[in-house]
Parts: sequence; C-alpha cells; structure tokens
Amino acid sequence: MDRRLPLLFLTNLLLAWLAGQVNHSLAPMAVHLYLGGLFVAFAALRLDLKNGGLCTVLTALACDSTTAAPFGTSLVLFGLAHATVLAVRQGFPRDEPVFATVVTLILNLFLFLACSFVLVGLNPRPADAWLRLFVDLIASQLVLAFITPWFFALQARVFELARLDPETGRPAS
Amino acid sequence: MLPKRFDQARPFATLGAVLLAWILVPLAVKSFARVSFFELQAPFIAAAAYVRDLQEFWALRLHPKDELIKAGHEIAGVIAQYEFSQQELESLRAENVRLQNLLNLPPQPAFRYERARVARRDLSGWWQRLIIRKGANYGLVVGSPVVFAGGVVGRVSEVYGYTAVVDLITSPTFRLAASVEGDARPICYQGGLNDSFKAPRGTVEYVPTDIYASPTSPRLLLTSGLGGVFPTGLRIGRIVRLETSTDGLFQSGEVRVDERLVSLTEVTVLVPLETEDL
Repeated sequence: MDRRLPLLFLTNLLLAWLAGQVNHSLAPMAVHLYLGGLFVAFAALRLDLKNGGLCTVLTALACDSTTAAPFGTSLVLFGLAHATVLAVRQGFPRDEPVFATVVTLILNLFLFLACSFVLVGLNPRPADAWLRLFVDLIASQLVLAFITPWFFALQARVFELARLDPETGRPAS
Repeated sequence: MLPKRFDQARPFATLGAVLLAWILVPLAVKSFARVSFFELQAPFIAAAAYVRDLQEFWALRLHPKDELIKAGHEIAGVIAQYEFSQQELESLRAENVRLQNLLNLPPQPAFRYERARVARRDLSGWWQRLIIRKGANYGLVVGSPVVFAGGVVGRVSEVYGYTAVVDLITSPTFRLAASVEGDARPICYQGGLNDSFKAPRGTVEYVPTDIYASPTSPRLLLTSGLGGVFPTGLRIGRIVRLETSTDGLFQSGEVRVDERLVSLTEVTVLVPLETEDL
C-alpha cells in the first residue's frame, strides 16, 4: 500500500460529496443521479490490484454508509465491477479519455441495474418504480458522459501534483 | 511466473476472499464501520448546509429595506393570529385533559419539539431520506416522528453524533397506520410512488369499501395513533383515488402528499419524553 490509496480515496469522497449536493438540488424535480461507475473506473483501469482494490472497498463502504441500502451492497457490486475490468483491461488504451468514458458508462449501467434489482422489490408498485429508475438512469448516464473526462483528469492531476505514477506508485519523472 | 489464465482469474479470487471475509465479519464490526464512514463524511455534508444558509442570508441582505418592512408587517399580523390560536389551543388542551381524567383514559404520549435544519435531501427511486443537522447531541432517538407545517415528514431512522437520517413518508420502506378524517377505522399507508418531475405519492391499503375518494373530492388521511410512534391526527396527505382490491373486501388507492415535502429546509423532530421529564 502506498500514497496512491489515500489520494484516490479522497478524490472519490469529493465526488460523492459533489454528487450529494447535486442530488440535493435536483430533489424537487424528482430526479436522482447515480455515479457509481465513476468511483470504480480509475482505480480499476489504472491502479494495481492491491491499491485499486483497497480504494474500491473503502469507497464502496463510504457510499454504503450514506445510503439506505444494506451495508455491503456497494462493496459486492463495486468489487465485482472492479474485478471484471481488472481481468480484461490488458490490451486496451486505458489512459484514453474516450475509452475511460465508455468503460465508466458500462460500469454505471451495470451497477445501476444491479442496485435496482436488489431494491425495487421494496416498492409497492415495482412496475411504476422502473419508469422513475429509467429516467434516473438516462440522466445519470448523460451527466457521466460529460464529467468522466473531467474527473479522470482531476485524478491524474492529483497524482501529478503528488509526483507519483498512478500505475506503478513510483515517483514520476 | 503464474500462468496467464490464473493471472486473469486473480481479481475474482481476491474478490471472493474479500467477500468471504466480509460475511465472516461480526455484525458489531460492520455497524461500527458504517457509523465511522458516515461520521467521516458528516462534517462535509453539514458544512455544505451551513454554506447554503449563509448564501440565503446574504441573498436576503440584498433585499431593499421597504420590502423587509412590508414583510415585517405581514409577519406581525400572522404572529397575532397565531397568538390567538395558541390561546384557543391552551383552553382546548385543558378541556381535553379534564375529559381524559373524567373518563380515566391512559395519557397520550408527550413529546419535546426539536427544530432541525435539513443538511441534505436524498430522494431517489430506491429510497427517500433527509439528513438533518441535529443528532445524539440534541437527544434525538431512532423512531422519533418528524413533522413540518404540512404534516408528517417521516421518522428518524439513524442517529449519529450531530446529524440524523430521516426516512420520508414517500420512501418505499415507510409504513404507517392511518385513518381517514372522521373515521376511526385503521388503514395502512405506504410510500413509494415517486415519478420523475411529479409530486411524490403514497399508497393506502385495507380501506373499508364504504369510504369514497376521487381527485375532485379527496379525503384527508391522518395518523391513527396506533403503534405508539406518531400522535393521533397528524396530516399525511389526501386520498385521491380508491379502487376495490382483488379480494373485494377492501379498497386500495393513492395518496397525494404535500408538495413541499421534496424541498424542505427545516423540520421538527418530536422527541418522546420519558415519564420523569413530564
């Protein structure tokens, strides 16, 4: 474990805080943004298994603590998403913003649908609930498409300021 | 060097180990972890709410004095009206206590009113909740009813050091014993109809078949007082639609809740008083 873990975890906490503020403002319109894919994408694409995995675990627990989902739901889902990306990432242009955006969108879609299948059963009319979830999903994906390059650039810049190579953890030249 | 196939399976093997460890972790450790992670983020959530309040304060400071004087006059009128209502309420309360004593009825639950600012609204299709800026530091307890001028807001579901989480009446997991105004028979209210770009709604079940409601003649839905958490007679919403359920014995329908519920900035928590506090 090295300095990459706290740096990445703090940027994820910043994103969670920002998402909370946006959702607070969107509440009167009955729209909710879910950005789970973005918490996982950088760690899974750029970091090694140990540091990236730990960051994903910590971020998942931080997300779970502020939601009504059973504690550990995000841990399972984020962990699965992280492991899948880590297993297939070789041979892809991992530091390309377009590729990162596509991966983030796919991850977010998977996480949103998985969360919905877990939680929608609590609703008195699940069919009606899916309509709302569908709108939330579209809004979330649209916002993600815009902010993913910014957030990846922010994380890369944080490593640059800390003079660390995100992939190896060694001092950057 | 490990074979490539194992190298690809390594993330999943690690995930399996992590999940197995998570299952084996005692519940007390998980609860501690949850509280710790929440408390880690709570100062930032509360700080954003304080900044919003400050923004509002400075925005109000920009209003011209004439407007403020006019608003002050209007508020003075409203206060006079409330003072008169307060006197009426006191005499009704005294009358109520006298009648209860006469009939030897058990005493109604007593509450302390704790006003709290809303730090964050988290209203999704999965859950509907608020984080408020008061917690264990003001003696809030889990299960306390939360109200506002328009009626019931919800119930305190988690209490932390200086924040608390309120489960809203529009949340799918929120259930409550209710009754229609002028009818003492209990019915079941549940939240959960939260369409996009629309005001939230709830559902009612087990409504007797002789009760009618429609969008043009809605019926007021109040708390029944059963269950001992919510006092009797608090407003939940208006039943706007009823239809006979499949068994034909009862009706089920929709409840329109107060639209202000999704943009609340301040709520009141009813903290139950212990016998020695009375």
